[in-house]
Parts: sequence; C-alpha cells; structure tokens
Amino acid sequence: MDFATLDTLRHQHPAWRLLVADHAPLIASFLHRGFLEANARALPQRELVLKLEDHLHTLRERLGEEAFPRTAAAYLDDWAADGRGWLRKFYPPDTDEPHFDLTSAAERAIRWLSQLADRSFVGTESRLRTVFHLLEQMTEGTEVDPEARLAELERRKAELEAEMAQVRAGRVELMDEAALKDRFQQMSDTALGLLSDFRELEHGFRELDRVVRERIATWEGTQGELLETVLGEHDAISGSDQGRSFRAFWDFLMSPTRQEELTRKLERVFALPAVQALKPDPRLLRIHFDWLETGEHTQRTVARLSEQLRRYLDDRAWLENRRIMQLLRGVEQHALAVRNQPPGRAFMEIDEPSPSVELPLERPLFSPPVRLRMADSEVLEASEDVPAEALFSQAFIDKERLRENLRHALQTREQVSLAELLHEAPLQQGLAELVAYLDLASDERTALFEDSRTQTLTWTDARGRARRITLPLVLFHR
Amino acid sequence: MTPNTNRPTDAADSLSLVLVALMKGVVYQEGDANLWHGLLNLQARVREHVTVLGLQLVLDETEGYAYLRQQPTAEGRSALPHLVARRQLGYGVSLLLVLLRKKLAESEATVGGPRLVLRREEILDLVRLFLPEGTNEARMVDKLDADLARVIELGFLRKLRGGDDAYEVRRILKAFVDAQWLDAFQQKLADYRAHLRAHLTEENGATP
Repeated sequence: MDFATLDTLRHQHPAWRLLVADHAPLIASFLHRGFLEANARALPQRELVLKLEDHLHTLRERLGEEAFPRTAAAYLDDWAADGRGWLRKFYPPDTDEPHFDLTSAAERAIRWLSQLADRSFVGTESRLRTVFHLLEQMTEGTEVDPEARLAELERRKAELEAEMAQVRAGRVELMDEAALKDRFQQMSDTALGLLSDFRELEHGFRELDRVVRERIATWEGTQGELLETVLGEHDAISGSDQGRSFRAFWDFLMSPTRQEELTRKLERVFALPAVQALKPDPRLLRIHFDWLETGEHTQRTVARLSEQLRRYLDDRAWLENRRIMQLLRGVEQHALAVRNQPPGRAFMEIDEPSPSVELPLERPLFSPPVRLRMADSEVLEASEDVPAEALFSQAFIDKERLRENLRHALQTREQVSLAELLHEAPLQQGLAELVAYLDLASDERTALFEDSRTQTLTWTDARGRARRITLPLVLFHR
Repeated sequence: MTPNTNRPTDAADSLSLVLVALMKGVVYQEGDANLWHGLLNLQARVREHVTVLGLQLVLDETEGYAYLRQQPTAEGRSALPHLVARRQLGYGVSLLLVLLRKKLAESEATVGGPRLVLRREEILDLVRLFLPEGTNEARMVDKLDADLARVIELGFLRKLRGGDDAYEVRRILKAFVDAQWLDAFQQKLADYRAHLRAHLTEENGATP
C-alpha cells in the first residue's frame, strides 16, 4: 500500500475510478438497482436503456431538467468504454443486440458503498467460530498421522455423546436471540458475497484466457516449444485453482438433496421471530436458485473459453495464423507505400461463396405487349363544355413542403418516425402524399427502414373516410 | 403411416434441403440448427453428390460454417465447367478484406469472444490510414459505403439489425482470405510498387 501503488490504482482501477467519478451517485445507484438488486447478469441493451431512462427521468424530476444531459444509450456506452470499465458490452451468440454486464470491479465498488450505510447489528461471535471451524478443517485435512486423526474423531464423538445425553435428560439448549441474529447476518453476507464472487471468478477466467492468448500471439520460438509450455495450460482455465474450487462448489450445489435441504432450512430460519425482526431480504429465501443461475453463466463462460482456446492452439490454425500475421504486415507496408497512387479498379479475385445457378425458368417469359387499336371511327368536334380545371387539378405533391415538415420535426429531436411526423403534420393528399414521403425516405441517407418493426398510420381521404395502413417502421434521423 | 416408411423420405427430404441450401450460399450453424444438424448427419452423401458437379464441400465444424467450392481438377481428367464464379474485386474492397481479416486475427489473439463486431466508424478508421493524404472526407465516406456494401454482398460482413451501424465480421472470411490469397495480394502489391518506382526513376531520368 505504498504511495505509487495507490496512485496507479486510483488512476487505473475501475472501482476507484467509479468512486471518484462525477456522476458516481447516478452510476452506482443505477447499476445497483439494475444488476445487484435484481441479481441479474447480461442484460440486453434495449432493456437496460429503458431502465436507465426511467432512472434518469425520476432524477430529473427531482433535480431539474438540466441534470444529466446525455441520453441513456450514451451513458451506457460511456460506462462500457475502455477508460471506464464499469460495464462490459458484448454480443452473445445468436443475437444482434449488444448486451451489458456489470464488471466485477464496479460490483466491488458498489458493494463497498452499500456497506457504508450503518448495519443495525454487528455480530462477532459467529465470525470467531467460523475462524475456529476453518482452522479445525485445515489441521484435520492435512493430518497424516492416523493416530492423531483418530484421537480427534474420538474427541468429537465424546462431545456429541455428551450433548445427546443432555438432550435425553430434557435439557435442550436453545440458541439465544443475539446468537441467532449474529449467525443470520453472517449467513446472508456470505450468501450474497458468493454471488459477487461468481462475477469476479468469471473476470479471472477471462483474464487468464487473455494472458494465454497473448503469450501465444507474441511467441517467438518454435511451435514445439510453445506447445510444450502451453500444453500445461491446455486446460489452464478449468484446471486453475479457482477453476477446481468452482467445480467443487458446483458439484456440491447440483445435488438435488442439497438443494432441497437448503430450501427447507432457509424456510425454517426465516420463520424464526428473531430473524423476522431483522427484516431479512426475501430474495435470500431463493438465493440458491440465484447461485445456480449465475453459476451456470460462469460454467458456460469457462466451457466456451476453454473450447476456444483449444481451437486457437490447434497446430494447423496456429501455423496459419503466424503466416497470416506476417503476410498482413507485408501487405500493410506495401499499401502504405503506394497510398498516394493506389492501383486502379479490379485488383484481386475471390471465389463466390456458393455456386451460381441460373434458373432460366424463374425469369419471366417474354410476353408481347398489348397493342392498342384505335377504333376506326370518325372523330367529331367536341361541342360539350368541358371544364378545363380537370386538366390542371392533377394531384401535385410538393416535396419541398414535406422536406420542410421533416426538418421542422427534427429541430427538436434526434430522430422521428414517420408515424410521429404524420401525427404532427397530417396527410393532406392521402395516399399519394404518403408515397411521396416514402420516396423521400428512400432518397434520404439519414432515413432508415426497419423491417422488423411495423407502424400503423392513419389519415382521412378525400371522401372523409378514415384510412389505415401498416408499414415497416420508417425512421428519419437528423 | 408407420415410422419405417416415414424415415427414408425424411432423410431424402433433408438431403435435398441441405444440398439446395449449400447451392444457394454458406450454411451457418447459428443460422439454422436443424439444417446444420442434417448437414452433419448427411455429410458423406452430400460430398458424393457435389463431387458429381465438380464441387467440394468445405465444412468447418468448430467454426460452424459450410460452403461449396470448386473441386481442383485432378491430373489426367478433363476440367468441368466452373460452377463457382470468381469475382473481381477493386483495390479498395480487397484492402478492406485484408484489414478485416487482420482485425479478426487480432481479436483472436486477445479476447475469447466468439464474435467480432465493428462499428462503421471503426472500419472507417481502419481504412483511413491507407488513403492518399488530403482525401476528400465526404468522398472517402461514400467510397467506403460502396465498399462496405460490396463486402456485405460477398457475405463477409453482416449488418446487425437495429440502427446501431454495427457490423459483424463473419468468420467465413478466414476461409477465403487465407494465407494463399494474402500471399497473392502481397505479391501483386509488391509488383505494383516496383512498377511505380521504375516509372518514377524513368521520369526523373528524362528530366535534366
């Protein structure tokens, strides 16, 4: 804990940086609610943005409109940026939506903050007992002398028998309220702590994976040497100390009898008046399900990282990667040298990823155009009075006017959907005008058609009937 | 109908489905799990079928993709007409492919994330370094958009849904932009560079 270490930590450790951030109360309160209170992992961006918008909204109501000027999405991106490191942004397989997860550093900072609020009760006895317990387990677990081990077991047996004799004699010793509260507090601390350990564990695994990959990528020796050193790390992740401890935990938790036992005991403990008086967090009742869920998440991460690392180490891929890195460097050098006079158009060739099958029958066949025949009748001079307006009253849509509507709508916001736009500037010329809008949207580079979402538009036509149409969502951006 | 009479038709159906899907483009594991499963089961028969057409099945089980490519002509056999067309690529598109391939290699060397997603600005930054100095920014962006569209069309980039302007670099790129392809690219560029240099000295020699 010397000055230099602390100074670096303050500048580089995400947890400390969170504590000194200007918006720390906003960040910590939101992340606490979004992830920790909900025991949530990996939330999709859309969901998190909505939550943050809510959060910002309530804050702005209290602090005034100017508080926290950026959009929810911008905040999230900022918090996930490399310089911050409070959220991890990633794309899970099979989805196009970015997901966010709390980093373990941010979690630690937030948990520390939550401990600043005074606890109603500080128990010490159970901790001391835990210390004794752990020491006992360690000395016992490393005792090689069978004599000593037997003696210890005998001692415990004698203790148990004495206790049983007491109970038989009708002297049942009950735990007093203080002792109960003490233990309950420790139990709940440990139980919640386990949840945050998972996150840290996963972070550790990821870190391990990165280190091994870096080693491989910067390896200068031969492949044989690399394999030799890395072979030991082939299962570097699941074989690490924390990997083994995690597996033991997992096996312990996965047994159905243990799960039942946990449920039963938690329910009994929760029913005790002393515990009720502590107003325990009801989520504790199902904490083991949360363990299972987050544990499974960690389990999957470990499996995936191991698998990918194995693939990366595959000798064929390894050699190819080396060669490719070399070639890439060469290409870049040449490309830099010629950048002021880049080669002309067609430069390289590449195979198409599939055979091209032309299906002539899928094309429409030739069909002769219908020929109009003028009836061979005499054209007479028109004598009726035809109103000339008919010629001029063709619908004319002024696109400039529509553009003006659009510009107006975008003055106050970043984007506007066609539906919103029409709400503010209703269609005056019905369908034709709508088509003009769509035409505008397809010309405009700032407009976006989203096939996955739809919108319903309504207008009143010339005869006063209400019309409705459902279209893919059209969004105009500034 | 008894299950016994049912099964063969099912198998034939899925063989047809798999073959048609392959003829139409790359088959991805994450795109259609059923199809992928069918492909794995019927691998041998698929290979047999496509060989008749002078094609070869490339199936990468760990990366989760499969596609058909032209079978190299064996010696002493007459070459079949090619079913797989070769596409001409402009310099811009070729260079973009190289830069994306590099990103893919880098991401493999640092993070174990299964997917590489780049935003449009990031891609822009990749390319910027290799453009002539003083390039008109607006023109460059237009050009890049055209190149991006081409790479998407080739199937190496996929625009993610949602207006985030994010693109996934598909791992199939590794199969096409491989060491051999890169070697050819490097060779061509080196030749071009030598040609430029020769041209320059010639000009310099002519001027007194």
